[in-house]
Amino acid sequence: MTTHATSPPALPGGSVHADQFARLRQAIAHAAHLLPAQGPITAFIHHNTLHAFEDLPFEQAVKLGAKTFGCQPYLSEDRYRQEFARGRITREDLWSVLLDDLGDRAEGLIGCLGTRFHLRLAMLHYPLRTAPSAELRWLVAETDALQRFREETSPQVRHRAVEETRRWVMRDLRNGGGEEGATATRRIRDVLSALFDRFGKSSIEQWNDAKWEAFCLHLLWRICHQGVHGVERFTEPPTPPLRHRDVLLEATGEDTDRLVNDLLVRFCAAFLDQGFANWSLPGRDQGLFAAFDLLYRQRLAPPERWLRGLPRELERLRASGADPLESIAESLELLGVSASEEEEFIAQTLLSLRGWAGMIWQMETRSDRAVRPAPSGSLVEFLAARLILERLAVRHVARGSLGFDGPLEEVRKFARAAVPRHESVSVDQRAFLVFQLAQLLGWTPPELFRLSKPEWSRLVEEVEAFPPLERRRVFHLAYERRYRNRTLDAVAIHDRRRPPRTVAPRFQVMCCIDEREESFRRHLEESSPEVETFGTAGFFGVAMYYRGAADAHFAPLCPAVIKPRHYVLEEVVYTSEKSHRRRAKTRRALGTTSRRFHVGSRTFAGGALLAGLLGPLASVPLIARVLFPRLTARIRQTFGRFVRPPRATALQLERVDPEPGPTGGGIGYSLDEMAEIVERLLRETGLTADFARLVIVTGHGSSSLNNPHESAHDCGACGGGRGAPNARAFAQMANDPRVRARLARNGRTVPRHAVFVGAYHNTCDDGIAWFDLDRLPSSHKEDFAALSRLFEEARQRNAHERCRRFESAELALSPEAALRHVEGRAEDLAQTRPEYGHATNAICIVGRRSRTRGLFCDRRAFLTSYDPTQDDDECSILTGILQAVVPVCAGISLEYYFSFVDPTGWGCGTKLPHNISALLGVMDGAASDLRTGLPWQMVEVHEPVRLLMIVETIAEAMSGLMDRQPGIGGLCRHGWIQLAVLEPHTSEIQVFSNGRFEPHRPEAAELPEARSSADWYRGWRDHLDFASIAGAWATPARRSAPHSESEV
Amino acid sequence: MDVATIQSVLGVYVVASPAVLLVLLGLSALLGVPMSERLIARLTQAAVVSGLLAAVVILALMLARDVRIVPVELGHWVVIPEQHFHFTLKFVFDRLSVPFVILTYVLCGTVGAFTTVYLHREPGYGRFFLLYALFLLGMIVTSVAGTIETLFAGWELVGLSSALLVAFFHERPAPVRNGLRVWGVYRVADAAFLVAAVALHHVTGGGDFQGLMGSGPWPAGQASMSQGAALFVGTLLVIAAAGKSALVPFCGWLPRAMEGPTPSSAVFYGALSVHLGAFLLLRISPILELSIWLSAAVIALGLITALFAAVAARVQTDIKSALAFASLTQVGIIVAEIGCGLRYVALAHIIGHACLRTLQLLRAPTLLHDYHQLENAIGSHLTHEPGRWERMVPERARTRLYRLALERGYLDSFLNEYVVRPFVLVFGWCDRLERCWTDWLAGGQSRESDRVPPPLEGMEDFT
Repeated sequence: MTTHATSPPALPGGSVHADQFARLRQAIAHAAHLLPAQGPITAFIHHNTLHAFEDLPFEQAVKLGAKTFGCQPYLSEDRYRQEFARGRITREDLWSVLLDDLGDRAEGLIGCLGTRFHLRLAMLHYPLRTAPSAELRWLVAETDALQRFREETSPQVRHRAVEETRRWVMRDLRNGGGEEGATATRRIRDVLSALFDRFGKSSIEQWNDAKWEAFCLHLLWRICHQGVHGVERFTEPPTPPLRHRDVLLEATGEDTDRLVNDLLVRFCAAFLDQGFANWSLPGRDQGLFAAFDLLYRQRLAPPERWLRGLPRELERLRASGADPLESIAESLELLGVSASEEEEFIAQTLLSLRGWAGMIWQMETRSDRAVRPAPSGSLVEFLAARLILERLAVRHVARGSLGFDGPLEEVRKFARAAVPRHESVSVDQRAFLVFQLAQLLGWTPPELFRLSKPEWSRLVEEVEAFPPLERRRVFHLAYERRYRNRTLDAVAIHDRRRPPRTVAPRFQVMCCIDEREESFRRHLEESSPEVETFGTAGFFGVAMYYRGAADAHFAPLCPAVIKPRHYVLEEVVYTSEKSHRRRAKTRRALGTTSRRFHVGSRTFAGGALLAGLLGPLASVPLIARVLFPRLTARIRQTFGRFVRPPRATALQLERVDPEPGPTGGGIGYSLDEMAEIVERLLRETGLTADFARLVIVTGHGSSSLNNPHESAHDCGACGGGRGAPNARAFAQMANDPRVRARLARNGRTVPRHAVFVGAYHNTCDDGIAWFDLDRLPSSHKEDFAALSRLFEEARQRNAHERCRRFESAELALSPEAALRHVEGRAEDLAQTRPEYGHATNAICIVGRRSRTRGLFCDRRAFLTSYDPTQDDDECSILTGILQAVVPVCAGISLEYYFSFVDPTGWGCGTKLPHNISALLGVMDGAASDLRTGLPWQMVEVHEPVRLLMIVETIAEAMSGLMDRQPGIGGLCRHGWIQLAVLEPHTSEIQVFSNGRFEPHRPEAAELPEARSSADWYRGWRDHLDFASIAGAWATPARRSAPHSESEV
Repeated sequence: MDVATIQSVLGVYVVASPAVLLVLLGLSALLGVPMSERLIARLTQAAVVSGLLAAVVILALMLARDVRIVPVELGHWVVIPEQHFHFTLKFVFDRLSVPFVILTYVLCGTVGAFTTVYLHREPGYGRFFLLYALFLLGMIVTSVAGTIETLFAGWELVGLSSALLVAFFHERPAPVRNGLRVWGVYRVADAAFLVAAVALHHVTGGGDFQGLMGSGPWPAGQASMSQGAALFVGTLLVIAAAGKSALVPFCGWLPRAMEGPTPSSAVFYGALSVHLGAFLLLRISPILELSIWLSAAVIALGLITALFAAVAARVQTDIKSALAFASLTQVGIIVAEIGCGLRYVALAHIIGHACLRTLQLLRAPTLLHDYHQLENAIGSHLTHEPGRWERMVPERARTRLYRLALERGYLDSFLNEYVVRPFVLVFGWCDRLERCWTDWLAGGQSRESDRVPPPLEGMEDFT
């Protein structure tokens, strides 16, 4: 560092550099956009991993994203071929997708070797082997690649190739003849004489078939080699790396990022720490760079060689009074980064520690979500510190491993010169591709020999125009097509088959749209024809900050895009107030003790005392919790009952003050606001008439142990929170006679017999909790008793259906045992898959439940209730629904997609070595970048397909809606989700493709039928096909629903 | 069959059961016949539970018959009469080894049960349990070793399995690099141990602890050797213990070892492996007693480690590193206790600490859940008020101390700079010398590998 640190260029300053600073700021803002957008892991919000490229079409975006982030855009070719082999992708899918993809170009001829379509089809069907040239040469010389045809080659093709070669050799070539021109003859003669020497020409008449086969292949290989020789390059040569680190890595094998990241991981974690460490970073409040400066300016430093220049460098920067942006400009100049490279260089630099950099950006921009946010400008300061460290590391490696001691700006040039780059393409690789294709497609040696140089050039160009990435794209489209067609066929057939309704609903159950509730609703419907279910975003229109009786803070419960205005508090009822206060005191005392214990056990004296005295006692909970998780949880709950807040609580829901606020009279909603919320939700779900005696509003969430990603299993519509308070609040609002009076005034009468009850479904242990049952009128007690029996039944069946996915659960479990099993999972410290969350999600159906009731969707469908017959011409209800549903569902679907196709790149890899850092996220092992995305254990059963939205409306209305709503329209038009509409009055389906709606052409005529869900899924672990479940068919009658004409 | 025979049989069984487990799992891996997860879990369970039972019965018999020591001799395995050398396999069940064996079985068993669920569907499931069996065997052999060479054998098994478990996720570079680091430190410690073992043979004519420590069973033994010899052998053994227990200046590897799956971090580094150095010191405590200097050095080493680790633990921001340093704090104190001659205290401290830390490490991924509950119980965000000590330290010094703690005492840097680097330089110099010599002999470039460029044509996948 020394020579150049002591004689730095004049620091940039003044107005001349104003431009440059503006440019830098913009480049950093642009790069920040690319960083992972995951916030603190405690409130996990699913979002599109490639949100930065959302304005591009999906296929372009994944390609660009793959390049930018170095991750996989699709599954591997092999993986898709396996799916093809087991019938998940069919021949028709490949044909259809390939024909669509090629359009008019499909029939283009490639010389006389066949059509482009057939070439590409063969390249899809058969794995084409490629390898570095050295390996290929070994392969040709040492394996039987030139002895025997590939085993996929059909006997006919092989026979023809061998026979033609034989005839050609025996008739035209053996005696040096041949009809070709003089040069060609000479060429082939050289090849042949070498081959004849090898195979023994004198005995040619006695050669057996195997020998002829080998001869044919040798000849083929040499002809291919000759043919592709000298053909120009068609693809862009790979661009040389931009960052010094990459150049040096290639030249020396030393990774400067390892040095820099090692230090920065520790520093960033200390800077962002939300309160884990007992000592916080000195100077943290002054900002990132100030703290960095304070910490690393000290003279007393470790003898780390590469860091030796750091104190002096920081001292110098301090003396010059440069601010972080100026320091960045200076670093870039010292490193020799030109203005045109700046933006890309900054992006790549920030992406090299993307998790931590992204978290800094999140803490800076979404400061409302953090306990200890970062001051604004932290990312710029981070970059400044990072570039200073990079300069030192680059200098260190260049000097140590490359022996280069010149100015830093020339390091890249010097290092590049040290590594000769191969600009030309490898003849061996090209020849081997053609060689394999010739075997598979039956191109014989004489045919290939007759190709002219321009024809060879066309052939190579054609082959290279369909590289692995393109093949994977086509495979993926075929993979999606199969599921899409199956789904649409099933929906259409099921809809046609649906019998007329006979029974009036006695119970109506509203659930979240979450695909995990699909099975729960189905089982409820199966258990009684008197149950009717609805799906709506699980915050039930109640966007609020909520604080429970035992909670420390208000937490937002609504989709992440909404910023709530209202506050709701849970209070213990007056009679229990005293015991509540006593228990709260006990809890505080216990909590404080427990915290002292936790912290104390990590200190010197406290640790010694605790370990010595209480340590052996720790073996009791240790063994109990590991060996008997469910029992231990029971015991803990029993004891916990003494300190939990009393069960009798009430929501403080009604506001006194005119304006909402977090304290006193500001808490709650006004009656008008309540009426608005209730009316809106009833209108959206289409529940406007035929109210049942009991209407259950069911929120959901999930609780599990030893799971840093616990919040990712909670309700997506509650922003990674649990929807119980929302359901409870909604039920309370809807029951309020004053609210009902207001509704009646608007012409939405809710009859007096309809009583709303709030409930909560735990999707992990399938537990059900009820709220405010004390307020249930005695006239409804009997109904409720019947209903709770149905719920009990449904949760057992739901647990049973879920268990088929868990390998550690026997397939033969009874429903009761299944329930016990999932309860055990939720309490097991060792369980890395307490539930599978949103894995396997694939469809989102927006429409009347009556049209899909009884359709087995295998927990893969988000189900949103919407009645198109009640909507206006502008589709205002549908617009409102889609505004909430599309971002949430697309976010979930895309996050699962990316975390599955590249689990370590887009996802956060396996959970097993995860280590919670700074209370913000997880690292791999001792120290690593902050890992974002989903862990493998959450996504392993997923099928990566884009979400298929099926909306019950007419195509024109949907087109209009997409035009009016650019957010929704963009996602559909750019293919981030697939879209289809189901006509409200017929079973016709239109699919949105290439910018317009086209009628869906059914492929299947049949849809299997089963008596019950259990009959259908029993004994299967893998994904299941659709089926009609006859047991759920007796749908409740809706007198006013005017879709009787659609009945068959 | 008399009671003594029963005890001997049980004693052999205690060691044999993990050995059989290791052989079974190893054979399956070697022959390429993978076992199912369930079978592996069953076998492990059977081995651990039966081994534990055997150990408990031995304890009961010892208590009932008031026997303080049960030796199990398996004869001389290698005898070189000219050199007066014999490798004796001998196990001893006494007040030190029996609690340690039981502790090992209990913790390994619990962690094994935990792991069968935790590693479900992980491709390395079989590999983990193979290493687990290796570790268990190493721990048991070390615990019951009656001669220094038997102890060394167990010690090596533990070292090998630990290093391989750190590098469990070998598809990423960081675990492999850190595994190598652990391995490197263990090599140094083992070299010291080996020299000590040879020296001990030389001094006392055998490696038998009983011969060495005189007649009394542990902890009453009196070592019979000169003070100088005790100082020499003792120092080497203390170095060995320092490497194994991550005492200063070898602390750097302990947080790095948190690369493996959570349960291996828990049992190996949080609970058992890290106490092995302390165990060795306990075993040879009669030697420590002989030299006041040695005792003083052990106390100092323990206290310095404990103080350093306590400070370092305060600044760690991730749960596993924080627990690693917390462990180290206690190990330091335990070592100091041994230096003071408080053998029973140290033993009790080890047992309590091991249980506590295992529980904490297994619960590490629940940290956020726990924090949330604590916040709700206490009713506010958990903040740290600067403690008494912190307020007393002046600002400047505090920053320095903070950095020292954040960078883990610069200990790795020191080792890199003053131990590793000189080594590398010397060997680099030797290499250059050799090249000159062979070039001269060959009359030209003698190394073909110099001329082979690395294959650079990439396997284009994205473009």
